[in-house]
Amino acid sequence: MKFRSVRAIRLGTTFTRGPAEILLVALHLRLHGNSTNNGKNKINTMKRKLGALEKVDADLTNLQYKVRRDPGSYFDDHQQQYVQYETQRDLLLQNPSTSDNTGVVRLGDLIDFLAHTADCFPKSTTQFQNDLIQIISQHHDELQPDLRDKIVSNLVLLRNKEIIDSSVLLNTLFPILVSTTSKSLRALLFQKIISDLRSSNSKATNHRLNRTIQTVLFNLLTSDRETTKGLWAVKITRELWKRQIWTDAKAVDIMKEACLSENEKVMTGGTRFFLGGDKEREEAAEEDSDSDGEIDMNKMRHQAGINKKTKKKGRELKKAAATVKRKERKKNAPHPLNFSALHLLHDPQGFAETLFTKHVQNSKSKIALESKLLVLQLVSRLVGLHKLTVISLYSYLLKHLTPRQNSVTSFLAILAQATHSLVPPDVLEPLVQKIANEFVSEASASEVAAAGLNAIREVCVRQPLAMNDTLLQDLVMYRKSKDKGVQMAARGLLSLYREVGAELLKKRDRGKDATIALRAGDSGDRRYGLEASGEIEGIDLLEQWKEEERRKKREAAGLPADAATDEEVEDEAADWKNWDVESDDSDSSQGWINVESDGEDIVLSDSDDENTDPKKPAAKKAKLSNSATRESSAATTTTNPSEPKPLSKLLTTTILTPADLKRLKELQASSAINSNLPSSKRAAFLAARHADEAITAETIEAAAAIGRKSTKEEKIAMAKGDRESGKHSSTTAIRKAKKESEGKSTTNKEKARKKNFLMTLGKAKGKNKRSLTDIKKTMKGDMERRKRGGKRGNIG
Amino acid sequence: MGGASAKRKKEKKKDFQKPKLKVGKAKPKAANATNTSFKAKAIALKQQSLSANAPTVEAQCAHHLGLLNHKSDTQRRDSLAYLTSVLSTHPPNVPLPQPSSVIIPTAQRLILDGSNAVRQQLLKLLQSLPRDDIAGHTDQLLLHTRAGMTHLSTEIRLFALDVLEWLLSAAGDDVVSCAGGWVKTLKCFLSLLGWKNDTSSKWSSAMSFSKSSSSDAKVQVKQMNALTLFLKTGLFPSQTWTAARGGAEHFPLWQTEHHVLSERSNTYAHLNLFGAARDEEAEMYEDREDRQRVFHDRAEASIVSGIELVIKGGGEPGRAAAQLRKTLKDGMIDYRA
Repeated sequence: MKFRSVRAIRLGTTFTRGPAEILLVALHLRLHGNSTNNGKNKINTMKRKLGALEKVDADLTNLQYKVRRDPGSYFDDHQQQYVQYETQRDLLLQNPSTSDNTGVVRLGDLIDFLAHTADCFPKSTTQFQNDLIQIISQHHDELQPDLRDKIVSNLVLLRNKEIIDSSVLLNTLFPILVSTTSKSLRALLFQKIISDLRSSNSKATNHRLNRTIQTVLFNLLTSDRETTKGLWAVKITRELWKRQIWTDAKAVDIMKEACLSENEKVMTGGTRFFLGGDKEREEAAEEDSDSDGEIDMNKMRHQAGINKKTKKKGRELKKAAATVKRKERKKNAPHPLNFSALHLLHDPQGFAETLFTKHVQNSKSKIALESKLLVLQLVSRLVGLHKLTVISLYSYLLKHLTPRQNSVTSFLAILAQATHSLVPPDVLEPLVQKIANEFVSEASASEVAAAGLNAIREVCVRQPLAMNDTLLQDLVMYRKSKDKGVQMAARGLLSLYREVGAELLKKRDRGKDATIALRAGDSGDRRYGLEASGEIEGIDLLEQWKEEERRKKREAAGLPADAATDEEVEDEAADWKNWDVESDDSDSSQGWINVESDGEDIVLSDSDDENTDPKKPAAKKAKLSNSATRESSAATTTTNPSEPKPLSKLLTTTILTPADLKRLKELQASSAINSNLPSSKRAAFLAARHADEAITAETIEAAAAIGRKSTKEEKIAMAKGDRESGKHSSTTAIRKAKKESEGKSTTNKEKARKKNFLMTLGKAKGKNKRSLTDIKKTMKGDMERRKRGGKRGNIG
Repeated sequence: MGGASAKRKKEKKKDFQKPKLKVGKAKPKAANATNTSFKAKAIALKQQSLSANAPTVEAQCAHHLGLLNHKSDTQRRDSLAYLTSVLSTHPPNVPLPQPSSVIIPTAQRLILDGSNAVRQQLLKLLQSLPRDDIAGHTDQLLLHTRAGMTHLSTEIRLFALDVLEWLLSAAGDDVVSCAGGWVKTLKCFLSLLGWKNDTSSKWSSAMSFSKSSSSDAKVQVKQMNALTLFLKTGLFPSQTWTAARGGAEHFPLWQTEHHVLSERSNTYAHLNLFGAARDEEAEMYEDREDRQRVFHDRAEASIVSGIELVIKGGGEPGRAAAQLRKTLKDGMIDYRA
């Protein structure tokens, strides 16, 4: 009996049992000394069975699994493997370039094993991570690629197990990224660095880590301005900016340093960031929100009802519901307020000046025209956005404004972008004159003339004082040109000056509105440096409305219409109380908003003299860039032209509640329809462009493209444009494909239509071969049914 | 459906038409024949020897050394066998076809080879190498041997003991005095035998994952025998040393051996001028006293307790352990703490 029990336990001492149980066996054997001999015999006979297990002897994965389940019992085995690792490591360090795939166990596998079990024995493997760091830092050039990649990924694993911290990992990986010559390793390291930074910032922003890494990047850029090493700083910063992990001024500072680098690649990288980084970020955010697989909750619920119910499926359903909910919440959450990189810049004036002098004016800098244009774009963008003064920029541009200059439209766009209301007109005047002389003449090609006129208009939109009357009158004459592009550009210029400086135009060019305004003496002479006083759009409308309301109330109460009382003050207090004003009278306003959206169509139809063509971006732009304040002031001045407008009392005495703001919006919307504004202005009002957006060469060239006849290829391409796939297919085919892609089958009708002809024959034959009696029977039945009124019958 | 159209009939016929074979004409190609011919500017034959005379022994040895990395077990074994036969039949005073300094670095990796036949053949090759050449490569060989001793596979672990025994017999002094050769190897043995440094564990010997089948006495005996040999080499006074001392022929000069240049290769290795800094484990212990001291500090207690346990168990392991104890006593007899 004893013997049996021994055997049973002995059988259990294969891999699946922990050592603790085997100890029990030993005890057992010792307690029952007389049975040991039997037990031993049994062991010998067992040998063959255990022999099979010899094969898995060198199985590190198996051991890893055991160690992770029960670290205490397998400490010795782990220790042995650690010794093995140490000897293998010593071997590797003798000659780091040897491949490690000799023998049964590779060093890579051992490293894997130790990294995966490192958290089980934190004390005895303290040296392990340092070893890895040392090997990869010192020998990354010589190591075999797969071993090298393995070490990198295991370091990341150790970081995920929080055995080493992020800053150690990044401080190890980053120098390698900068110095290694292997492309694949760089790609791997870049990815690991980004993902680590992402994960450490996922729950909450890890300011300390960010600061350290930003400092490292910043130092990399500033310490060595000549080499391309800084490119990695640029890449990392741009990627993190795009993912909205770094949104602070320090990241912008890094890019600023990159822009000031001596190396062309680094410099262009930095400049491109400022010119396109924010847009990229926006797009990424948008993509993020509308991608990642829409979950069809209804479908899932339906499927859960039909399919076999398992725990897993239930979990999946719950998870999906949670995801949908989270997404919904995210959609409703307020948009995160992210400042654009250009706004976060510290000392833009100094930056713009240094950029310009260092890369453009400096005769020693040998950068390509393309990069130079990028720098100029950035400088002009800064100048336009922050209203900086870089006078030497304009004289530099003067040199390059000839039609023979390469990519001259970019130069024109740069000039327009660098113009703002604080640029002295006498600096701009020679530029405008030169554009007019060089580009706009009867002799020059129509595209050139159109580009020139367009550029002049873009400059004058920003600084109307840069124009004198003779030149303007001369340029306006081009609206009689035969070429459509030139025509449109000249008309654009004309309509601009009708608004901002009608007195410069000839009398007959001024148009009705401008003439009336001039006669009324309202057009207010513009002077350099004169700023319009700030006000809230449509505040006067609100004031008017409030006045009316008050009067109505007082009339209802039977009081004199003027003279303020205490009641009123209370009223206002009440206004603050019902902060959320969705309820009171939003229904009545609903109709107005609808009307306004119709108004857009009116804009296009009733414009007569100017801008009849709906697709002419050039002419439209002019209106867009007119600041909206001008319009509102124009709107009010036409109604009461004589008196000079004082600052609104409402503006200076009260703080507007959300209710007020809502009302204000409604009033504005209604007045936009009601007032007899020129249609073009309304269009501008609707599509007010953001002031931050850049002007590009395309803006300048657009006018030239209007009149141009497109080639045959272009026409074909345009016609094909709306179709995604190149292959033509019928509507039915497309519909069918769509249905198929949705996982739906065909309808019964379609199935019937598709059915093999031979299969339908039998049925058809059967109908024909019916005997006369049969036919009679069916017909009789049919008659009866009809009399009854259908199968169910409607009588009785 | 009876009357199919003429066109259809024709088509059907076409499908089953038999190609007509004619004498003296090329056979018509099948419809699905694929053209496999291709054009190349040059054809390179990788393994064609254009020399007419047979390759020299040197060249063949070099070739077989290259084949030691071959993926096939039998090929590796055969190459080893070839090299062994060349070395063993070589006349003693003529230089080898390939020097040992070339053979050992390529062959030593095979200590960790997965195939048993290859390993056995490797041992034969190593034994056929001239003994004087081995001294310069002990540290490398010992590294591989230690890797073998701690290997996950039992067979390789056992084989590594064979290699160690050979190494001790061929260049015993170098083995125990090279960098890391003493302490690290001792540590290796301790972990192999499961004799722990700390006596904290209350239980006797825990059965281990990889020793599930091999805890039988034979292996333990082998390990203890190897340890005995190792300790003998490390703790007993060196033979060469005693021989030099005995010589009184340089009568007026005493202790000449301390003043002449050492005959060992790499005499200043212990200064470690170029390598990474060594810790206690990796240090060289060239003197017997040093070794005794370190042994006493780090291993003696656990070995003694281990031996006692095994002796209690009796049997063949017990006898081996008794042998070990005797060696230990003799080796440490003149040690003063």
